Amino acid sequence: MVYTKKTPWVLIIGIIMAAYAWLVASGTLAGTLEFLHTKGKVGEMVTMGYIFGGIGIVVGLWQLFITPKQGHIDYYLSTIGGALLILLCVFLVKYGAEPLMKQWGAASHKAIGWNWAKTLGVNYILLGIIVGMVVVNVLKVPDWAENGVRLSRLGLKTGVVLLGGLYSAAELAEYSQWSIGLIFFFVLGSVGMTLWLGRLKKIPNSMGGVLSAGLGVCGVSAAVAAAPVVNAKSSEIAYTIGTILVWGVLMMFIFPPVGRALGLSYEQFGAWAGTGILNSAQVAAAALIYQPDGIETLKVAEIFNITRILVLPIIVMWLAVWYVEREQTGTKVNVMQVIIGKFPLFVLGFIVVFLLSTTGVFAPADHYKGKYFVGEKGKALDDKAIDALKGIDVKSIERDDQKAALARLIETKKNSTKADDVLIRGLEKQKGMSKEAKKALGAAHKHAWKTAPRITWFRSLIVWFFAFGLTGLGMQITFRSLAQAGGQPLVIGTIVGTVKAVGALIAVLMLKNLIG
Amino acid sequence: MADKFDRGTALSIFKSDRLEDIMALLVSLVIVGIVLAMVPVK
Repeated sequence: MVYTKKTPWVLIIGIIMAAYAWLVASGTLAGTLEFLHTKGKVGEMVTMGYIFGGIGIVVGLWQLFITPKQGHIDYYLSTIGGALLILLCVFLVKYGAEPLMKQWGAASHKAIGWNWAKTLGVNYILLGIIVGMVVVNVLKVPDWAENGVRLSRLGLKTGVVLLGGLYSAAELAEYSQWSIGLIFFFVLGSVGMTLWLGRLKKIPNSMGGVLSAGLGVCGVSAAVAAAPVVNAKSSEIAYTIGTILVWGVLMMFIFPPVGRALGLSYEQFGAWAGTGILNSAQVAAAALIYQPDGIETLKVAEIFNITRILVLPIIVMWLAVWYVEREQTGTKVNVMQVIIGKFPLFVLGFIVVFLLSTTGVFAPADHYKGKYFVGEKGKALDDKAIDALKGIDVKSIERDDQKAALARLIETKKNSTKADDVLIRGLEKQKGMSKEAKKALGAAHKHAWKTAPRITWFRSLIVWFFAFGLTGLGMQITFRSLAQAGGQPLVIGTIVGTVKAVGALIAVLMLKNLIG
Repeated sequence: MADKFDRGTALSIFKSDRLEDIMALLVSLVIVGIVLAMVPVK
């Protein structure tokens, strides 16, 4: 079978992206960028535009003028069209729709006193997923793009592996101490609860087993990994995937506004999303929707997500024993073989990249300490910023350590320690804070950290991989796949999903003073 | 569906999750290599 479709669209998308990069680089669009407040992203627009545009033009010409023969070259090059379609969507929402909606939101704030864009948390990740869902469900993904859309999971997995390079050993140790306890409690709790509800509702053991892995661990991959040990039928896997998708998609949209309403810090939201959202991809989506202009939330969410993936072998073994005890006639399965064969290898890649980063190849040894915490070096906050900080109503701050950190910041005009920096970052999410005060708190953080060039590159690339993966994921969320959910599995999924999301939120709120 | 994707699955161009994981590792390796080679540490 030949996969490459003869279409001018790949070439056209390539030309659009390269032309856009050229217009930005030449200054022709300076006025537009000024209006949209996107001048700071010029370098990124030009680099990405030329790279993706160049690839589109070369592959587009090849597809137009050369008749492809069946084989690997045809198969893999046929993915370029879809990948470019996703990237074009990311370009449009990141550099066009998001800044435009923020402008409209700000204008509506002046007119009616309500910034709808801010309240709804409109950003390019959310818009990218919505655009993807509209493309697949309303417009239909064109034939020439279908293969490329199937690259989105590869993008997400690559993003997770590279993310390993952004943690310091201290950060990982700090987050892990919470993630291990919370994840063990919630994974084992939701698996146990699903199995109990399954018995109560009298669903087949194979259905209960596969559903419990999906609802308890990390969603679709866990359900697929557990399927052989409980002899699950294809229809049962389909029901489970449908249930997980319905819940994952719902939570992806619900978690960020709830987190904002509760004033959760980035770390707290990351812990909640990583524990309470069923599927890995939607965990990343919710984290990036919550904080699209930084990756602190994503980092915490992924630590929790990876911790639960690491629990997968334990769950598979538990289900194997549980199933054999109940089904004497079941086909014998080599559990170790299933675990080794189905364990997600990219998680090990994350650990390897993290270990590599601890050697200091990505950033100087003092990078993670914050360059300007100690000594006289570095910028201090100006008097205007200090006045804004003095205007904060200290009584509205619940935590004493945050009050103390704020007092030190006002006194020394900069964050003096990493601990203070974390506390001050948490304050930024505090409700009722003036715009000026938030700006001053953000500036204090920026002044303390000078990001190493390689880390800046990694951050930028990781965000692109996630934006690509999540927009592509939107193009795979069809109403048909959601409609696979139904019957008792959906009822059980609804109960367990709700208990897990609410329970994880309560746990994070109880640990509020300790996480972030 | 089988005719449409006689290689890979509806969700991935790779024939298994394991192969997709390995490809993610390879892509990451290439990117790490490029960043190390082209971007200065300080």
